[in-house]
Amino acid sequence: MEQSLRSRIGSVALPALFAVLLLFLWQTQLLHRMLGTDTFVLPLPRHIAQILVDNPVKIAENLRATCSVMFSGLAIGCLLGYGISVAAALFPKWGSGGLRVIGAFNAVPIVALAPVVINLTRDASDDVEVRSTIAKTIVVALLCAVAMSIGAYRGLTDLQPFAEDLLKSYAADRKTVFLKLRLPNSVPHIFIALRVIVPTSVISALITEYFAEHVIGIGRMIRDNITLAQYATAWAYIVVACALGIASYAVLMLAQRLICGRRWRI
Amino acid sequence: MGRLRRLTDSNLFVTIVWIAALVCVWEIAASYIETVKRTPENVLPHLWQIGQSVVSTKPVAGGQTALQIVLTAAAATLSRAGLGFVIGAGLGFVLALLMKLSGIVEKIAFPYLMIIQMIPILGMAPIVLGITGDIGVSRVAIAAILTFYPVAANTLAGLKSTEPEKDSLFRSYAATLPQTYVKLYIPVALPYLFTGLKIAAPLAVTASILVDTLQGDGGLGCMLSQSLKHAMSIFVFWQIVFLSAIVGVLSLNAMVWLERLVLPNERRKGKWNKASEAESAA
Repeated sequence: MEQSLRSRIGSVALPALFAVLLLFLWQTQLLHRMLGTDTFVLPLPRHIAQILVDNPVKIAENLRATCSVMFSGLAIGCLLGYGISVAAALFPKWGSGGLRVIGAFNAVPIVALAPVVINLTRDASDDVEVRSTIAKTIVVALLCAVAMSIGAYRGLTDLQPFAEDLLKSYAADRKTVFLKLRLPNSVPHIFIALRVIVPTSVISALITEYFAEHVIGIGRMIRDNITLAQYATAWAYIVVACALGIASYAVLMLAQRLICGRRWRI
Repeated sequence: MGRLRRLTDSNLFVTIVWIAALVCVWEIAASYIETVKRTPENVLPHLWQIGQSVVSTKPVAGGQTALQIVLTAAAATLSRAGLGFVIGAGLGFVLALLMKLSGIVEKIAFPYLMIIQMIPILGMAPIVLGITGDIGVSRVAIAAILTFYPVAANTLAGLKSTEPEKDSLFRSYAATLPQTYVKLYIPVALPYLFTGLKIAAPLAVTASILVDTLQGDGGLGCMLSQSLKHAMSIFVFWQIVFLSAIVGVLSLNAMVWLERLVLPNERRKGKWNKASEAESAA
């Protein structure tokens, strides 16, 4: 017991010590000397914190834009991806081939996808803000849908050996097999897929903002502030982006614990 | 008849039909856009128009044809993506070894590995450019950072996946630590390493193209944004879209081929394991 307590303290204290050391090196500018840079490009932590405290309204506005794109894209993409995987599981011969083609989209860089979608949605609305949001949401949703369809398909088809045979021996029809076996079996796979999808949704939301017509969002602010040589402000937005990434991942872990609980062990 | 059935059942046939369907959808959409837009090639050109631009000899900028521009840019971008990928994979592998060797290193580094996965590194690309000050170096750096995490995390999982019985066996043979690593831990971890490499390869390509868009230095991303701003033929943009998609897929396939080359028996072994599992379950 004491042993495990000590090791647990160690696994919290050691990384924390490393963080303190890093902040110390940063604040005392030793880090700058190591990287060969200056406080202009890599501002001191206090300076960054000051900017975060001074501009809550501006940051909240950009954060809201990024979050709305990210979460709506995530929701639409996951539902779409799950729908695709269900369709593929119902028609395995054509479905698995279709998923292989969809899987290729996984390797298509966001930088190529984003401008194409933005061009395609140029007529969606007369309002720049609306059509930019639509375009960004589509990009996020597409990337999430691809990852979700592949992950969920594995869950729907990678069954326990003989589980399907057992249900068939009970004279279960396809609908029952689907509802009682495939659907529950896919739940842990959904969460495994989400571990990749949630960070992807953050990144794709940030990157698409680079290309969008409407200038708003955390990602766009990082880039534009660097173009304007406002490095400290850009760093403040990077801190926000990292916080968004970590917070969304934490929410996912919490949801996984609540939903999966004892029934599904991951 | 039987031969036809075999043909339509094959995976290749199914894949080809799907690709053909996608091409049809694209062409129908392109034909529609052609009728409603003044400059349809900016929105969605026909595939044959893109193909035509690839083989066309008409110079579009600086006396170079579209294909020449794209290939020169691709060489600059992809060589650095490859270099970053190799550096990142090497560092990730070494860190995984260190984490396996030392509990303290693991405790310090593991939470940060988790955090790297959660934070949007690509969003930080501009600041890496700011710190390094050189587009070439930052391309390599971003590709390396993105490669680093999946390789390190997967290799560590692989190094830890050795069955305890094998560990005991090696100890009973009085195997030295380097021997145990070379003969047991690393071979067991290799398939996991390849899983990491497969995740990382398309990421490295995406990363270096993205870094290109930040500053003009003749990379793929740079040409992509130039072409979008109509500084040159828009077909340069479409060629880059297709090229980056193809390179992304190829980079993944390259890792699969490399895995088959290095671990030719892994596949068969996996199948055999599954069969024996099924037997024991019965």
